[in-house]
Amino acid sequence: MTGTAPIVEGRDLTRVFPMPAGAVTALGHVSIRIAAGEHVAITGPSGCGKSTLLHLLGCVDRPTGGSLFFEGRDTGALSESDRSRIRLNRIGFVFQRFFLLPMLTAWENVELPQAEAGASKSDRRARTRELLEYVGLTGRIDHRPSQLSGGEMQRVAIARALANRPALLLADEPTGELDEATGEQIADLFDRVHADGTAIVVVTHNPVVAARAGRRLAMKSGMVVAG
Amino acid sequence: MTAWGLAWRTLVHNPARACLAIGGVAVIGALLFDMLLLSRGLLVSFRDLLDTAGYDVRVVANEGSPIHRAPLDGAPALADAIRRLPGVERVALLRTGNAMAMTPGHENTAAGVTLIGSTESAMSGAWDIVKGEPLPATVAAGQPTPLIVSTKLAELLGVGPGSPLRLRVSLGGGASALPALDCRVAGVGTFQFEAEDFYTVATTMAGFAAAQGAPESEGDADLVLVASAPGVGPEAAARAIAALRPDVRVYSNAQVVEQFNARAFTYFRQISVVLSSMTLVFAFLLVATLLTMSVNQRLGEVAALRALGFPRRRIAANLLCESALLVGVGGAAALPLGGALAVVLDRILRGMPGLPERLHFFVFEPRTMVLHAALLAATGFLAALYPVWLAARLPIAATLRREIVS
Repeated sequence: MTGTAPIVEGRDLTRVFPMPAGAVTALGHVSIRIAAGEHVAITGPSGCGKSTLLHLLGCVDRPTGGSLFFEGRDTGALSESDRSRIRLNRIGFVFQRFFLLPMLTAWENVELPQAEAGASKSDRRARTRELLEYVGLTGRIDHRPSQLSGGEMQRVAIARALANRPALLLADEPTGELDEATGEQIADLFDRVHADGTAIVVVTHNPVVAARAGRRLAMKSGMVVAG
Repeated sequence: MTAWGLAWRTLVHNPARACLAIGGVAVIGALLFDMLLLSRGLLVSFRDLLDTAGYDVRVVANEGSPIHRAPLDGAPALADAIRRLPGVERVALLRTGNAMAMTPGHENTAAGVTLIGSTESAMSGAWDIVKGEPLPATVAAGQPTPLIVSTKLAELLGVGPGSPLRLRVSLGGGASALPALDCRVAGVGTFQFEAEDFYTVATTMAGFAAAQGAPESEGDADLVLVASAPGVGPEAAARAIAALRPDVRVYSNAQVVEQFNARAFTYFRQISVVLSSMTLVFAFLLVATLLTMSVNQRLGEVAALRALGFPRRRIAANLLCESALLVGVGGAAALPLGGALAVVLDRILRGMPGLPERLHFFVFEPRTMVLHAALLAATGFLAALYPVWLAARLPIAATLRREIVS
């Protein structure tokens, strides 16, 4: 943990999923602070609660216990539209399966969140060009996801996640669908993003990706056991 | 990119699904369009037919049905009294009956005709002369009775202006022992009320009475037609006539149409309402099913968009726009399709015996298009509600997790 003001802070976070066979505790009493500019990797076996923690940190899910503060605001007190606004403007998401919109080109996928955030056309154009250059895809701007490789799709997804200049980038198994070499390229890209000042929390099974993080949290059975 | 743009791109990205949906909506929309045309077509056509006759008030005897009334006694005196009313411009007397028409020497090729007796030499609107002359105002004694024959009858019997023709009235529609009346064709015309499988002949009131073998009945009439004076209007004229002669029935054209609307046309309206409702239900089910399937195929995308900060209303707007595009394009395609179908159906229905040739079941009105668009728009909106609810209420984290696991 660093001494700077946290971007996101979870206190005693618990997440219980009600199931027909009985409630399942995916996350039990986890406290975590992510400071500005930090690079954190969360590792652990499947089903240990890594993604659940990431979803809570990203305000896409609500804890059943504890509280979460994003840039000092208690997210439990926020409306769904306020939480959407935080996600749109302050958080970037990168998914294992990319989830690019298949009918849009790489350019349009990157431009879309900016349009939703109300950026002007000229600002969008400049930012999209900048991001696609940043991820090394200037030659693929008019290609649809189906015309891109897995690595290229993930790079577009990263560009999309950075579109609105988020303070926090969350990545859930970003190399899970990629081969080793491509995974390394994506890890390089995350390093650059971090070096440019964006805080990153990455959930990964990939030891190479985890090794690049400044702080590594190991999870087991819904709890942080090391880090 | 706007919700419309995104919706359009989604449809273009899935051309087979979009074509199926648009095709389905087009076919259903065409049926709906036809049902809407049918619901008022006969009424509008009937009103137009009445209006083209050039008279806007009808006076009949109190006895009988609105269509088949007893003859009016003392009709000429009634007509004179009506003519003197300030709100009246023109008055005509009319009689109708059945007769057999034949050319001399060819009695075995006689044709059944509707015989009209009129005080007017030319009734523009009721019939229009295409060849020859109108009925003469007076006929000299010993001269053959003048006739206006319909173009179809002229063609059937091979007669034209100046041709001799014989008429034998058939009382009660059956065979008649009355002597045939020698007549002369003055003109050939088109009759607005003539049915496709019927023939019509018009003559003077004296000619009609003579054909019936009862010259003394020249003063009778089945119907008095009145044209109201400009600026007075048929309703005011009808009220004035009713006040003048409470013993007769007076109807403006609008009242006649209203009576038919309340009685004879109710069946068409009811059938139309039932079938329209069914087509709307089909449209609803089609669009709702396709959109729901589409949402179910894109749950991961929707959850990712929500995770990226797209609010629920944006997701809802995308789906509503998608629905609007499917229904809008399909609905637009439904108009020419429905129009072509209406022409075919109209031709079939007009094949029923006894209908005036100018009467139509499917009549286009601008309001039908507006109603069609409004109904389809409402259906599209309602059909999108469930998929919109499904997408907007999607649990983001659970869906992302499920998509990864699957």
